[in-house]
Formats: sequence, C-alpha cells, structure tokens
Amino acid sequence: MTRPQTAQASHRIALLFNANKVYDRGVITGIGNYLLSTRVAWDLFLEEDFRCRLNGIERFEGDGIIADFDDPGVAEALGDSQLPVVAVGSSYSDPACYPARLPYIATDNAKLISLAYTHLIGAGLQRFALYSLPESAENRWAQERELAFKALLAADGLQADIHRGLPTSAPVWSQASAQLTSWLESLPKPVGVIAVTDARARHLLQACLISGIPVPEQVAIIGIDNDPLTRSLTRIPLSSVIQGTEEMGRTAAHLLHQMLGGARFHGRRILVPPVGINVLESTRHQPVSSPYVMRARHYIRQYGCQGIKTEQVADYVGVSRSSLEDHFRRELGCTVHQEILNHKLEVAKQLLARHDLSSAEVAIRCGFTSLQYMYAVFRRELDCTPREYQERLPVAPCAQPG
Amino acid sequence: MNLADMPTPLRPGSARVSVERWGELPGGDVARLFTLRNAHGMRVAISDLGATLVSWNTADRAGRVADVLLGHDTPAEYFAGHAYLGGVIGRWANRIENARFALDNVAYSLDRNEGDNLLHGGAAGFHRSLWDAREVAGGLVLTHESPEGDAGFPGNVSTTLRYTLDDDGTLTLAYEAVSDAPTPLNLTNHACFNLSGDETGDIRGHVISIDADTFFEVDAALIPEGRAQVAGHAFDFRASAPLGARLDWPHDQLARAGGFDHCYVVGENGKTLEPVVRLYDPGSGRELTMGTNAPGVQFYTGNHLDGIVGRHGRRYGKHAGLCLQAGAFPNQVNMADAGSVIVRPGEPYRQVTWYRLGLQQ
Repeated sequence: MTRPQTAQASHRIALLFNANKVYDRGVITGIGNYLLSTRVAWDLFLEEDFRCRLNGIERFEGDGIIADFDDPGVAEALGDSQLPVVAVGSSYSDPACYPARLPYIATDNAKLISLAYTHLIGAGLQRFALYSLPESAENRWAQERELAFKALLAADGLQADIHRGLPTSAPVWSQASAQLTSWLESLPKPVGVIAVTDARARHLLQACLISGIPVPEQVAIIGIDNDPLTRSLTRIPLSSVIQGTEEMGRTAAHLLHQMLGGARFHGRRILVPPVGINVLESTRHQPVSSPYVMRARHYIRQYGCQGIKTEQVADYVGVSRSSLEDHFRRELGCTVHQEILNHKLEVAKQLLARHDLSSAEVAIRCGFTSLQYMYAVFRRELDCTPREYQERLPVAPCAQPG
Repeated sequence: MNLADMPTPLRPGSARVSVERWGELPGGDVARLFTLRNAHGMRVAISDLGATLVSWNTADRAGRVADVLLGHDTPAEYFAGHAYLGGVIGRWANRIENARFALDNVAYSLDRNEGDNLLHGGAAGFHRSLWDAREVAGGLVLTHESPEGDAGFPGNVSTTLRYTLDDDGTLTLAYEAVSDAPTPLNLTNHACFNLSGDETGDIRGHVISIDADTFFEVDAALIPEGRAQVAGHAFDFRASAPLGARLDWPHDQLARAGGFDHCYVVGENGKTLEPVVRLYDPGSGRELTMGTNAPGVQFYTGNHLDGIVGRHGRRYGKHAGLCLQAGAFPNQVNMADAGSVIVRPGEPYRQVTWYRLGLQQ
C-alpha cells in the first residue's frame, strides 16, 4: 500500500455534487477537511454555483473524480471513465444496485432509520409511520429508507404505515398539503413519524400546525439531514438525524488519495453511519392525559417567547383560567406561568449554546421583559448567570485538524 | 505526596458505597462487590477480585438506565476468563517483546503468555488477584501486594488504587505503587465500553475523537515498530468520526490488528488531565470523556471479543465493546525512554485517569 506523506505535484480533481443541499455541502466539507489535515494539494474543480453539470465531463483533463452517484446522470456519464473515480451516495439493500467496479462511499440508510426509530421508542411512542417521497430515479435513497423502516417494524411485529405524498411543486402544493393532512388525521395517535428528509418533515409539521394537531403530544416528528434552513422555517424546533456526511467526504478523499498513488479499490464499499440526533421539541414526547394540558403546551411551544400570559393560553384552550391551572397542577405539578417560564428558559439555554448572540439579544428573543429578569430567572432556576451557564457548557476536547 | 494531595480532578468523590458478597472463587476465597452511587442514581460496581470495574449503570437520553460495560455474571468467570474485562492490569499492561528486558545491566526473563511475549502481566496478573478493599469517603481504596519474582519481575511492589465517583458522573482512578527494588511498572484498567447499553450490538455506530497527532505502528505480534503521524490515515481522530467507517478504511495496520489495537501518544499537549478522548453513542445520547496524566492511551476496538461469553450466557461479537486504556507505551521498557517506566525505591509510580459519563449536550 502506498502512503504518500510529502507534498506532491498537485492533482486536478473534479467534485461532481449539487452543493446547494446540506448533505452535499457536508461531503465537500469533509473532502476539504481531509486535504487540510494532510499535505495533499489538489486543484479542485467545482461549478461556480455549486451545481453539478455533466456536459463536457468526458473532456475533463484531470486526474480523478469524486461524484454523487445518487444522480443517475452522473452514474451514467462516469460509467466508462478512464480516470480514478470514487462514488458517493445512498446505501442499497440489494448489492446489484451499486456500481460494479468503483469504490463506493455510502450513507447507511438502514442505520439512519434505525436511529430515528429507536429515538421515537425512547421518547415513549408505540405507533410509527414514515413520510417518504414518490418513487423516482433521483431519490432511490427514499425507497431504501422505506425498506429499512418496513424491515424494522416487521421485526417488532408492527404495521408500517408509509405515505409517499406528491412531488413538491407549486401547482400541486395545496393538493399535497390536503392529502398529507388527511393522512395525518387518519393515523391512530399518539404516533411518531419519521420523514425521509427535513424538507418532508417541515411539510408534516406545517400540516399539523394548520390542522391543530399537537406536536409532539399527538404526532412526534423526526427528519433526516439536520438542515439549519429547515429549522429556521419551523415554529416548533425539528428533531433530526445527522448523517455522517463529513466522514463520507473524508473517506472518499482518502480513497482517491490512495488511488492517485496507485492503489486500487475495485468494488470496495464503505458504509458511513449517522453521527448524531439533534433532539429538539418535535420529539420531546411526554405522555400527558389531559387534552387541555396537551393543547396548552402546544400553544406555549409556539408562542411562549412572544410575551404570552396565562389568560391567552386559557383562551386558546377554551377553558377558564382556574380550570386550566387545576389541570396543570395535577398533570405537571406546576402552574401555567411556570410552564411558560420553563419554555423561555429552555429556548434561552439553546440560544446561549450557539455562542453567537449577546445575553441581551437572547433575553429579547426569549420574550423576557428585561435582561435583569432573565438573570433573575437563571439565578433562581439554575443557580448561575447566563454567562456562567455558557461557560459551563462542555467544549469538544479535540482540536480540529489543519 | 499521598493520594489526598493529588491534583484535580481527583476530587474526594461524593458517592455512597455499599458492599455485598458476590461469589466464591476456586479455592474458596470470596469475592465482594462494592457499589458506588452518586446523587443522580449513577451506579458503579467494583470487585475486590482484580479491582475489576464490573458494571457502570447510567441513564440514556430518555432516562432508561443500562450498563455500559462488558462483563461476566460471576467472579469465577472473571477468574477463568481471558478477556480481562474491567480488570486492573499489572505489572505490565499490554506487551513486552520476547518477555525480556534489561535493567541496571541485569537481564530479566518473564512469563510468556502470548507467543514469545508477555501480555497483561502474565498468567497470574493483578486482574486475577483478590485485592484488599476498604470503603472511604466517596469511593473505595484497593491494595495489592506483588511479591518479588511475580511473573519474573524484580522487587516487592505494593499498589494502591483509589476509585472515586462524583455527582457529575466522573469516575477517577488514582494509582500509586511503591517497590523495594527497581522494576518496570505499567498499570491500566481494561474496562470495555459499549455506551448503547446493548451488549448484543457493536460499537460501529459510536463516534470518537482522540486528541493525538501520533500513534505507534505495530508489527505482526502487535509490538510497536515506530511512531507515525495520524494525519491522512484511518487513525486520525482529531476530528470526531464514526467507527463503522474507519474500521473499513484501507490500512495495513488495521488489517494486522483486526481493527484498532494501537497506542496513541496523548501526553504531549502539556494538558495533563485535560480531556483527551471523547466518545459518544448517537442512539442513546450517552457520552464518555476521558483524561489521564499517562503518556499513552491504548485504543482497542474489541477485535478479539468474538465468542467471549458475557452476561446471561450470551456471546459477544467482534467489536462488541471498546477499551481506552491509559498507561505507558507497549514494550516501552525495551524502547527509547525506558527509564521513565522504572519504579525505584523512594520514587513511587503514580497515575491518575478519569472517565466521565454523561449525555450529549
């Protein structure tokens, strides 16, 4: 095996990805991290708008290619390439679906779904459903996730309820939403729903909010991709499985690096497991029996940071304030006001963990009437100041390479 | 300096300790099991047999409690076992090439229990001895006497190990040993973790980071051949990576050991007792961090666990658990800097290693 350790003449490498998506960006980041961690100098070719275009790729005067093989066009265009190629893409339960002769780095769909599923079980759910995508050559990974879901539920003796829905496009949007809503309404509840992407999870969340289904009490939702854009579009923060995209990129770059030194990895497959779950409100399922408490918490989760008071919560639920307080005391052992405050505190903790906002900004975003009040709440509930809380957060022990 | 003067994070510990009879050993001795409990319901069980870390029960993200250590049901199985699970290893953790070393111009010949080499203290290592144990504030102190000639080593060595458990989930192991004659000494704990708490699974889904720029490459008998940079190889965990993919990266060293069984050099960042390893299991949300004042951490991915009988008669599979063993470098007594692994009268051995179990933030 060759193990180049020294700087070499730079190789020209094409990266064929649609890096407008968080998944592809993760893979490319991993490739970049690998290069920074070594003395490898590659002259990287990427389209300026980070979109993958195949016209002329056969005339690319380079030394190697790392490409997204989820795109059938890419797989076809590179089938006969004379250059070293490392393929990246979906895992398949049927080995015949992989390109025969290329090294292939896969996201492990079975592990992604199993992680989401066990997380929902841990959250206390006993019924499960999957929101997938219509079958197409571009998203064979969605079908792989369906297969993984079916296999897991079959092993546990459960029925797998799968809704593929319609393709997302402006003309059929309202029809798609109506179908999704009636599917959601038809499901026995409470139910945990896995969405094959965060984009699909956002549809689910939106459909639940519009039809007044409490999330996560009646429908707990988890997506895949941990896409920050999706998170910023949802009122209830979305839980999501984090794919090992950076490791996929590092692995692909490592194999290509070795291939440029003469190694051959004919048909070798490396499956990369997911690296985490971002656990947020959409799966913080706590079984409660009172429908009033359920509705109240649903409302607090959406509007708790906008200065709401107990009266508004009671109005939304449609019961008297004192009756709602009774239900809260029985079910949760606290007042409605305390629950609103807990919500603000949770959001404040999450914002502080980002390290990019001032305490004053955090106080405003969480609906505290003043910075002093937020300090007082932190002191009383956590026995520290917001700043001290921030400093206590664990920091990853290991330096980044490069 | 006695144990009480040792640096943070060697805190006094806050655990409550209880003790029970665990079971009989061949020959009639009785092994006891001590349980350390902290304020959050975390439970660590330690036996006086081999000062063994038997179980570590802690909650996952959803509050379900499970044991994150591989182990056996009875002390007799630990005594007969060959997997060293949770045991304290002495006098020499890992291997000594050809079971030989020279010290002060005298050549010593040791027990050979792995081919030509000595492994993990030889056949009658510290892990198979019944230690003296007494409860102390926040934990447990265990002592062990190793007579001159034990596995062929010189000197009478007296070892004290203090385990303490804190409310933040930190388990600290403070070792101190004295000898009446110069002798090499390298102690470690062979705890084998699977943070999922599911002994039937493997650690391929675990994600690890190790703050080390170099590690030791090994020969076919797993004796270090030389130090190598981690950069550009499967061994680079300076940024966190899931183990499932790394175990499949092409590397002759991984093929040789059947996975990772390599010593990382962690003592060179000047950050004594700072965290050097972070390990988490995405499914359960459990996270283990580790720090040590030892120069090396042997990272072992359970490459030979296949077929070992664990609890309830179930057999472990390959990679069922992983070890993070703090200590000197394997075979260091025969390498450069051999002097630093020699304990002399008046110059005691000291190692502090901590493991903290919690949840991912």
